[in-house]
Amino acid sequence: MIVCVAVVGHQNNPLYIQSFTEADDALKLHHIVHCSLDVIDERVNNPKKSGPLLNETFLGLLYPTENYKVYGYLTNTKVKFILVTTDLDVKDADVRNFFRRFHAAYGDAVSNPFHVPGKKITSRTFAESVSTIVKAFGLSSAG
Amino acid sequence: MIGVGKIKQYSNVLDKPLSKGKQEVSLSAFSFLFSELVQYNQTQVDNIAELERRLEDAGYSVGARVLELLCHREKGNRRETRLLGILSFVHSTVWKVLFGKVADSLEKGTEHEDEYMISEKELLVNRFISIPKDMGTFNCGAFVAGIVRGVLDSAGFPAVVTAHFVPVEGQQRPRTTILIKFAEEVLRREARLG
Repeated sequence: MIVCVAVVGHQNNPLYIQSFTEADDALKLHHIVHCSLDVIDERVNNPKKSGPLLNETFLGLLYPTENYKVYGYLTNTKVKFILVTTDLDVKDADVRNFFRRFHAAYGDAVSNPFHVPGKKITSRTFAESVSTIVKAFGLSSAG
Repeated sequence: MIGVGKIKQYSNVLDKPLSKGKQEVSLSAFSFLFSELVQYNQTQVDNIAELERRLEDAGYSVGARVLELLCHREKGNRRETRLLGILSFVHSTVWKVLFGKVADSLEKGTEHEDEYMISEKELLVNRFISIPKDMGTFNCGAFVAGIVRGVLDSAGFPAVVTAHFVPVEGQQRPRTTILIKFAEEVLRREARLG
């Protein structure tokens, strides 16, 4: 079950945060997303020679907390996508697929000439396509 | 047998098979739009430098978005961290997506360490433009320079990009060169990466 998705700009400013649970713990999710930014910075600036390539876009599992798993994805423009999920048995391929579709929706939102880069994404179409992708992810991993 | 091996020519445009959405735009449509863009900006400014800056700003937003889209559509894309990597990316991939062919050449400047040049015999945007004599060295390729600056800036390589005409003997129209001058921090980071 995906709990939250977030898009963070290249100066670590939040561009879009959306939570998908009914519970009112938005603050905790913000905090988790914020902590994961540190993990990303650490991965990008200090590459382990035996670890994943420095310029790979999908960063994989960033860190597991109490009952959440956090996945990261970094684009060419240093924009980061964060995915927080409570599923315990997500397959790597599913997450990659999710990020690919998310990246497509993000590309469409940014191509909007009225979108100012660096400001929050306010497009309703983007919000709708994100919820569609999240629902599809929930169905595919449950089946 | 007669006729075998001949390429099918479609005399009627309605007979052509529907394209699979190859992201092609007609040159005339783009040329009209670009000429309107230049004309509109000309009425808003007082001098040449301002006009050039406005065209470059227009290109900058295009460049930022192009990078985001290309990053997603390219199969097996890797985030470019090296100078030569991002330059060859601009020179081949970006040029191919925007103009349908790779740029003519990519050279390293001889005088300064941080200068690189992408040159093109005839920029697509300049194809139907001739600059009047009283505008001096103005080049509508400033739009393309803005695109390159947008791509480099969004990828983390801040640079100053300008477009220049370079006269070539034996050719009536001069060659266009896009001059890229990288910022200090880019060179320092490159030296650190080794």
